[in-house]
Amino acid sequence: MMRNDPIKHVFIWPAVLVVLAISIFPLIYSLTTSFLSYRLIPPIPPRVVWFGNYVTLLQEPRFWNAILTTTLIAFIAVSLQYVIGFSVALALNARVPGERLFRVALLLPMLLAPVAVALVARMIFNPTMGPLNQFLSMFGLANLPFLTNGHWALGCIIAVEIWQWTPFVVLMMLAGLQTLPEDVYEAAELENASAWQQFWGITFPMMLPISAAVVFIRLIESYKIMDTVFVMTGGGPGVDTETLTLFAYQEGFKKFNLGYTSALSFLFLIAITIIGVTYLALLRPHLEKRR
Amino acid sequence: MSGQGLTGLSTWSRRLIAAGVLAWCLITAFPLYWVVVTAFKTPPGVVGGPTYIPFVDFTPTLQPFIDLYQGIRGEFFHTFLNSTIVGLSAAAIATAIGAMAAYALVRFEFKVRFGAGLIFFLLALGGYLLFNNNLGFTRAQALLLAFPIALVVAIVANRLPLPGPILGNEDILFWFVSQRMFPPIVTAFALYLLYSEIGRLGFQLIDSFVGLTLCYVAFSLPIVVWLMRDFFEAIPIEVEEAAMVDNVPSWRIFLGIVVPMSMNGLLATFMITLAFVWNEFLFALFLTNSKWQTLPILVAGQNSQRGDEWWAISAAALVAIVPMMIMAGLLSRMMRSGLLLGAIK
Repeated sequence: MMRNDPIKHVFIWPAVLVVLAISIFPLIYSLTTSFLSYRLIPPIPPRVVWFGNYVTLLQEPRFWNAILTTTLIAFIAVSLQYVIGFSVALALNARVPGERLFRVALLLPMLLAPVAVALVARMIFNPTMGPLNQFLSMFGLANLPFLTNGHWALGCIIAVEIWQWTPFVVLMMLAGLQTLPEDVYEAAELENASAWQQFWGITFPMMLPISAAVVFIRLIESYKIMDTVFVMTGGGPGVDTETLTLFAYQEGFKKFNLGYTSALSFLFLIAITIIGVTYLALLRPHLEKRR
Repeated sequence: MSGQGLTGLSTWSRRLIAAGVLAWCLITAFPLYWVVVTAFKTPPGVVGGPTYIPFVDFTPTLQPFIDLYQGIRGEFFHTFLNSTIVGLSAAAIATAIGAMAAYALVRFEFKVRFGAGLIFFLLALGGYLLFNNNLGFTRAQALLLAFPIALVVAIVANRLPLPGPILGNEDILFWFVSQRMFPPIVTAFALYLLYSEIGRLGFQLIDSFVGLTLCYVAFSLPIVVWLMRDFFEAIPIEVEEAAMVDNVPSWRIFLGIVVPMSMNGLLATFMITLAFVWNEFLFALFLTNSKWQTLPILVAGQNSQRGDEWWAISAAALVAIVPMMIMAGLLSRMMRSGLLLGAIK
């Protein structure tokens, strides 16, 4: 039942006003600035260049490199998070001994500050004094260039992302698993379906809507990655691990190239929207079939 | 609540699975253990290669924490206070007004004409350009003028029979949640420029409590509205209907009945918001520089300043982590497994 009472405006307006103000101001501001050639250092008066900034950006290899890096991190990290997270959730749901003990441990990583996690990761990935190096030395792999080689550094960042955000997937999937109806499994049991068949025939399809939502949330969040990279490699070596947000930060906050940075953040917004819409469009047929 | 999915497995494979989960837990726990022990190490305990067990491998010391407290490596105490103040107030405000909005979206009917929304955006954009380019106002002034005008016109326009679709509560909710998709760099950078221009008008927002808190409130609201809506929807409406028969005003129903009934949800939402604000890095990086600097900024700075002083780095990281560890303990206690489930549907 929906009520209609003028007081509803008192309830909703504070939140709407704050979000509107903080989202529409910057949107208009950076949209208009993105069509200007506008720098603070050295100070030159703004000049309208229309799509000039966008054209420059699209021809800039560093921009494409940032897009590629961010996409790699997001897709690899999220797929591994999903696989590991789903497996752990399945195991916990099957009443593995000691399940309750794992709960707190599983909740922890995602509540910790990414910058602090990245600092710890730097120590662990230290090529001479770190514990990981000591561990790998036992297998004859001493002093690997964890953070000084582009590919290794990317791998390390992905590893940290997986470490920190798999718990989120576990939590969501576990909650989803616990809502599945039991009678379907009982029927499958009577048909002598193996655990493997039960998973692909029942569990996976029924978990598809939740899976889609979890992966979507993680994907969008991963595209914003900045703090982990900022602390672990600073985008280096060179620009090998520079993500979109970090690139925008360098251009905007270090060089104060305002028009350019605004155009960059708009391209970022467009890219995220395209990814989100494509993802939903690809998934929609699968989701609707199940309903 | 059942243990299906693995029922057909032998005890041997169950053990294998248990071992796998245990392995994941060890991977999760090791970095945490490492940072805790490293924070109590002396310099020789660090440079001599990795050591793991206190009292056996190395002699623990409290020196890193004493250094921290004395502010040898930056104003830790002050920054800790900043983080606490900003975190608590932003989380409290966001939870309060977010819960109100969520309640309104569950129990009242809203109709927004798409045309009115369009009018708002076009007027805000056009008004800003007009005021800034043709009438000689500064950019900040132009925005501050255009916004209320556009808002008032849009509200009036919403009452007119405009063509185009009419948006309901679900669409308003979607608008709230979609704010979360925004890359924060877009907002952070523009907000930084806007705040500095407003600062030139005489109202300091950069590196201020108000500026930072406002921005965190706005960025937490989507999550709050999203989570709280599910809690409110789960409340049986009969209680509220009974109160309405007695002509109890809506705000008293909300404060006297709905809020007490959803205390768990409010608390969980508050804590999740607090964790988000406490850990946030990007906005703090742009919007603060010294006085209202928060912990993540100071912690991130430790890295470049002190190369291999791991004991100091660990102690710093620990200061940022420990409050959240305590909260994880609290949260997991009240975390009924269904807590976050409804939210993702």
